[in-house]
Amino acid sequence: MAETGKLGEVVTINMGPQHPSTHGVLRIVLNLDGETIVDARPEVGYLHRGVEKLAENRTYHQFIPLTDRLDYVSSLSNNLAYCLAVEKFFDLDIPKRADYLRVIFAELTRISSHLVWLGTHALDIGAMTVFLYAFREREMVLDLFELATGQRLTGSWVRVGGVKEDVPEGFFDKAKEFISIFDEKIDTYEGLLTKNRIWVNRTVGIGKISKEDALSYGTSGPIMRGSGIKFDLRKDQPYSVYDEIDFEVPVYEEGDVYSRYLVRINELRQSNRIVKQAIDKIPAGPVMTSDPRVSLPSHEDVYEKMEALIRRFYIMSKGFKVPKGETYASIESTKGELGFYIVSDGESKPYRLKIRAPSFVNLGALLVMTKGYMLADLVSVIGSIDIVLGEIDR
Amino acid sequence: MEFENIYTFLENKYGENVNKKIEYGCNFIMPEVNISKDLLNDLYKKFDFSYLVDIVGVHWPKRDKKFDVIYNLYSIGNRIRAFVKVAIIDEKIETVSDIWKSAIFLEREQYDLLGIEFKGHPDLRRILLPDYFKKHPLRKDFDLKDRSWFNDVDEQGLGIKYSK
Amino acid sequence: MGLIEHKFSENILTTKVDGLINWARSSSLWPVTFGLACCAIEMMCLGASKYDLDRFGIIFRASPRQSDAMIVAGTVTRKMAPVLRKVYEQMPDPKWVIAMGSCAVSGGIFDTYSTVQGVDEVVPVDFYIPGCPPRPEALLDALLKLKDKIKEDNIIRR
Repeated sequence: MAETGKLGEVVTINMGPQHPSTHGVLRIVLNLDGETIVDARPEVGYLHRGVEKLAENRTYHQFIPLTDRLDYVSSLSNNLAYCLAVEKFFDLDIPKRADYLRVIFAELTRISSHLVWLGTHALDIGAMTVFLYAFREREMVLDLFELATGQRLTGSWVRVGGVKEDVPEGFFDKAKEFISIFDEKIDTYEGLLTKNRIWVNRTVGIGKISKEDALSYGTSGPIMRGSGIKFDLRKDQPYSVYDEIDFEVPVYEEGDVYSRYLVRINELRQSNRIVKQAIDKIPAGPVMTSDPRVSLPSHEDVYEKMEALIRRFYIMSKGFKVPKGETYASIESTKGELGFYIVSDGESKPYRLKIRAPSFVNLGALLVMTKGYMLADLVSVIGSIDIVLGEIDR
Repeated sequence: MEFENIYTFLENKYGENVNKKIEYGCNFIMPEVNISKDLLNDLYKKFDFSYLVDIVGVHWPKRDKKFDVIYNLYSIGNRIRAFVKVAIIDEKIETVSDIWKSAIFLEREQYDLLGIEFKGHPDLRRILLPDYFKKHPLRKDFDLKDRSWFNDVDEQGLGIKYSK
Repeated sequence: MGLIEHKFSENILTTKVDGLINWARSSSLWPVTFGLACCAIEMMCLGASKYDLDRFGIIFRASPRQSDAMIVAGTVTRKMAPVLRKVYEQMPDPKWVIAMGSCAVSGGIFDTYSTVQGVDEVVPVDFYIPGCPPRPEALLDALLKLKDKIKEDNIIRR
């Protein structure tokens, strides 16, 4: 029985997994009445690689490179969330220098991920110049990552108990160079887009979500902050050294695509500010904890003492054992609240590991944001939710 | 509002049917399955736990109560996080998608991967795996590398044969 | 070449028909966008400002009917494999496939119940690029070698 809308029959079309604007392999089944959207159902699972099952067969240390591939545009913050969860079992004493380095890299990945968002969102709506400018700045951030971790995209640099190794010399000079030019580049992007008549017409009033809906659908991150709810895990449940750094959390009231754009542009400015403060305040010292339950002994001890040799062999070959119990830790990642829930039965491999992916929960609110709008607005809304399929499908 | 006040209220209302535990910095409330939905409703209405963060299912094949369902709740006004852990015997439990709408996707995912049925869910079908897949991968009796189901269905008649 | 060389005035070039066709095909290779996972971000970096692809005549097209190459960048799962095959069959001949990244080459680190172990189970592949993810220069190297391969193709003389 065909449904009839105001303009005739309601047509079902498929916005398939291979599509230039869906930011990955997302399939949306649309019911359209003319050009107006009546129903939009997202179908996911085209990139389901079985990461949670794979976690039950790998040791805690071997799982770190797999966390990189979840939200692949901001990989170092995924490592941080996982390591914070495992460290909760041990109640470790992380050295201050390691904490500051983790914060610097988490904010640099936030900058890199927001630049990808800006470039692709603007490209979908039609502004090609912003794509080229944003990726030019992103290359500078990727150079910094390559200097410290050896890899441009998937670093796997954060470890349980600290970070892998200290940054080489010349890193902080290069980072200061980047910070000094970045503020005026953000002014360039804003000059191209914020008061641009075409951009305003395509984003103001589109994709509105009310405050109650944003909370009930569990959308965290810029979507919640664009609808007037002031919630940021870096301020409400501080982790690492965020309580020693001074920054603001931008909140806007309207709940449409334009407010989310403003939230993210302001987050770029605040991230720049955080990196500047962290580089000024970072102390000298070790970068890995010396707690014997998780860390390897030093090289001199291994060559001279038998117990250190045995401990090193045991941790390298079998992995460290984690006490029984369940725990959860989460961070404010670029898309929202990224959390890891770990169930351990006392062995060196997790019993169950659940990844709370922000994009998966944010996508549940797609119908609320697009019902009643036109087909061309769907592209703006998907860009403003900022999804990454690696996280949704795991 | 501290966790102790919340737990005292719940203990006064439900008596023996609820337990608590504080482990590794996380607050756990463990009710029996028959009062779990009322308890979650109380937490939503009286203590402002209006943000459902996550639903996790765990399979324990060697216990009587084979599955655990854990609800991760956060209250933005009171800045407190609580976990409600329910142990179920047969694989059925009431849905909470009428209280929090984020449960619509989260419960579909646990149904897909573990096979836990949520009674009253508006649209309970697979979300991450294809529809013709019959088993539930995250159960402990399913092997990690079991790719024997690849050649079961030939969608769209393309004639692809998978050998690995 | 041979008999008719140097018989015409200075501004007429002579060549084989094969050479002309191969030069045209290799100088404007239009791939279809098939970015699936992390390698797609490196592919986007290749098309952006620092490593520019437009100077080689390579533009990414959205529709398979208008393209002549496909770069499979990312993990292919069992649910996505029929889609990949359908897009490949919609491309007109001649077509070439590049498998970019360890997941497309052989399944990568995801040896699990839902990942296809290598995209060559679904479509025939011309070039394999290992790496996780490979650097943009590695993909550029593969594209330039693909151009060399096209230049050696024999069409008229088959």
